[in-house]
Amino acid sequence: MSQKLLRRSLLLAAPALAVLAAPALAGPTPAGKDAYLYFITPHNGQKVHSPFLVIFGLRNMGVAPAGVKFPNTGHHHLFIDVTEPLDPNVPIPQDKKHLHFGAGQTQARIELPKGRHTLQLVLGDADHIPFDPPVVSKVIHITVI
Amino acid sequence: MQGGDEPRRPRRLATILAADIAGYSRLVGLDEEGTLARVKRHRRELIEPTVADHHGRIVKWMGDGFLAEFESPVEAVRCAVVIQQSMAGRNAALARQNWLQFRIGVNLGDIVIDSDDDIYGDGVNLAARLQELCAPGGVYISGGIYELVKNKLVVGYQSLGDHKVKNITDPVRVYRVLPDPEALAVAKARRLRRQTVAAGLGACVLLAGAGFWWASTPETPPRPGSSGSSVVEQIATTRPPPAPAAPPADSGQRRITATPPAVKPPPPKGPEMVAVPGGSFLMGSDEDPSEKPIHRVTIAPFSIAKYPVTVGEWKACVAAAACAAIPAGDDKAPMTNVSWNDAMQFVAWLKKSRNENYRLPTEAEWEYAARGNTDTRYWWGNKVALGMADCKGCGEPYDPRGPLAAGSFPPNPFGLHDMTGGVAEWVSDCWHSTYVGAPHEGSSWGEPDCSQHVLRGGSWENDPSYLRAASRDYYDTAVRYISHGFRVARSP
Repeated sequence: MSQKLLRRSLLLAAPALAVLAAPALAGPTPAGKDAYLYFITPHNGQKVHSPFLVIFGLRNMGVAPAGVKFPNTGHHHLFIDVTEPLDPNVPIPQDKKHLHFGAGQTQARIELPKGRHTLQLVLGDADHIPFDPPVVSKVIHITVI
Repeated sequence: MQGGDEPRRPRRLATILAADIAGYSRLVGLDEEGTLARVKRHRRELIEPTVADHHGRIVKWMGDGFLAEFESPVEAVRCAVVIQQSMAGRNAALARQNWLQFRIGVNLGDIVIDSDDDIYGDGVNLAARLQELCAPGGVYISGGIYELVKNKLVVGYQSLGDHKVKNITDPVRVYRVLPDPEALAVAKARRLRRQTVAAGLGACVLLAGAGFWWASTPETPPRPGSSGSSVVEQIATTRPPPAPAAPPADSGQRRITATPPAVKPPPPKGPEMVAVPGGSFLMGSDEDPSEKPIHRVTIAPFSIAKYPVTVGEWKACVAAAACAAIPAGDDKAPMTNVSWNDAMQFVAWLKKSRNENYRLPTEAEWEYAARGNTDTRYWWGNKVALGMADCKGCGEPYDPRGPLAAGSFPPNPFGLHDMTGGVAEWVSDCWHSTYVGAPHEGSSWGEPDCSQHVLRGGSWENDPSYLRAASRDYYDTAVRYISHGFRVARSP
């Protein structure tokens, strides 16, 4: 009997522990079905003058500001000349090569030095973590003239 | 009014929050100037930052209330709960007759936007009706909102049945938001007690945590519509909090106390401050376009915190219901994942509770303090030195998962720790992409409705080039990110 009681209290305790650990163990946010992220402008191979406008395209998912946990929505990140592989389990880095658009922006004016650059869009969830599977655009090459 | 006559007038779906102060005329009658001053202060310190923090827009103020619109129902309800919990905290020290209590209604509906950004339509009218139904200190939401938020917010919901609402054809389902799911049990028990025991006998049972206290303040839900349909009560218990508007985790030991929270808490221990002498220095560098042109800036004497604000210091602000409960690391670690708006709430709380002139440092003050009378790239020299700061490539100690405890590295010549590396620090200035036109006297360079503010010092996630004294970065004002923190400054 007492063993039964003990087991029950353990069972009761288990969800409480799970609650405490939840923020660290929260699984990845599922991507929207057929989500498609792409550049409306510029296009691959385009020559541009700096500063230039980048417009983000997204199909089958919506844009929401960072911090908003609403199903099937995320916010944009623009990767510039990033060569490291994307770590899908941690927040997207924040530096001059990883620009965040957490207010829900869908376009940006970008300044880059002359020469060839790569651009890629990566959608992040409310906590800036990539979706599962990651929603990323193709890497495009542009030349600033 | 419905926009049909003007084809260019846009319509859209929005979440509307309507709020007013219960018994406003009575309060004004009691103390006109005092009431107005208090309303103004709540508006400045609580309402405006909280609405902005939840990505809302205040459409207008109407004397004793306001109308706001949100893109997200979850954010709108969360905002309403934060406002009511904060108000409960603010009322705690006052006599009951002086309480300022908001009534808040939240509705999702079609709105029409006027040329001067005012909004109209059934969606707005219904929010206002919900607010009129609402008990003081409460939040009532429409059925539409309930369906969208029920699984996303860690609160309870009490169905109040269908209500026939003035000028609206179909009855509207109304829900009362309970900030703590357990509160419904208390609400039920209270009703039972009221039936058996004479009112006024039972002392109000208060639990530690303003949220619960708010939920359990006596209120009588309105009678359901004239049809006499019975009140359905249900609890929608929800997932555990990802970013709760609930008391912090460390207040878990809920003490039951019979005394009302009339005892004024002692002022919080402020962060350790270092007096910085005035002087002038060359701000900026030639290494990045954003750091040009190099210009001479004169700084008046001021004080700046020895360390970034720590998780422990932040928790004190959360306990006072003045800051958002944001999950973070160890008490000694720098506070992370704060937006500029969050940082400003902390500063406002510290300033008020200690009655001293706390603020964020200006960008010029920050660089002056970080340089500590040096003119090299880093305060210790021109080259990256191992073990001097917390960054990716700065050597040991280092933890890629988060910042090390405040004070883990040597101080700069002014005695300040962790100015660079650890957490990137918010300063008061609005972001400008170069120093062309920057002030020369160390003041904050602001802009009206600034949407991006300056971050300085680089973080543990960055490489050492971001830790140069002149390096600048920026981020959206209202957005939280894991490597962003801040430190406070103080004017003499």
